[in-house]
Amino acid sequence: MQDSQLRLLMFLQDLLMLKREMEDFQVVEKYEEMGFDLERKEKIEEAIREVTGQLDPELHHRFQIIASKYDRPLAPVKNGICYGCFVSTPTGSKLVTQKNDVIEFCNHCGRILYQPGTL
Amino acid sequence: MELKELFNSSNVKLELQSEEKDDVLMELISLLKLDDKAKEMLFKMLKKRENLGSTGIGKGFAIPHCRSLVVDKLNVAFGRHTKGVDFNSIDGKPANYYFLIVAPPVEISNYYLPVLGKVAQFCKSTDITAKLDKLEKVEDFLALLEETGS
Repeated sequence: MQDSQLRLLMFLQDLLMLKREMEDFQVVEKYEEMGFDLERKEKIEEAIREVTGQLDPELHHRFQIIASKYDRPLAPVKNGICYGCFVSTPTGSKLVTQKNDVIEFCNHCGRILYQPGTL
Repeated sequence: MELKELFNSSNVKLELQSEEKDDVLMELISLLKLDDKAKEMLFKMLKKRENLGSTGIGKGFAIPHCRSLVVDKLNVAFGRHTKGVDFNSIDGKPANYYFLIVAPPVEISNYYLPVLGKVAQFCKSTDITAKLDKLEKVEDFLALLEETGS
């Protein structure tokens, strides 16, 4: 089954988070002290390329712009509140991708919104 | 936070049935209260993490872990496999004892790494594999966490 564009973005954000951890010497040291082997940590780049290759180019471009402003370009919406900026998001702006997925953005901070529990 | 606060009868399984690494991951994920799509995404993320280096830390233990948007709080699970499954562990031996740890990208309490560290420490406790082998019911596992002060 093909992943929705939103799920791919969520996966991408998780991978970018993992990449940041792998680039943090102190975190890597902690993992190694715990006994974890991270000898192939450069493989993360490959995983990121694999996911970005499946993304709608326009959406990916917008993701990159948001990612240049915020560590976490995606934010959950709970009770109508964007948990990126904590501002009510009654009507987010939208992008319909080439794959007909509808991606919603926070009108206030511009982050990409997702509803936890409804992937 | 102590490990005993995180485990309960629904996230511990003493008789894992899977025979392959991927199936063990899915069986562990199934112990978490997530919908099917979230489980699928989590599985993919755990696989990507495994690709960087196995989380099989040797002596029969594996601690698959990751951060993911699909969870909104720290989630853990424990599973025991009597025969053991090849998990590409650092000592090349099968893994019998599995701790799954999943956290959201941001937690206010920031328990993820400390919990991971506590689990790794627990796995290094004296005679721990013998004690884990003797467990007969889930309550015994919870009691063992209590006994070891974890």
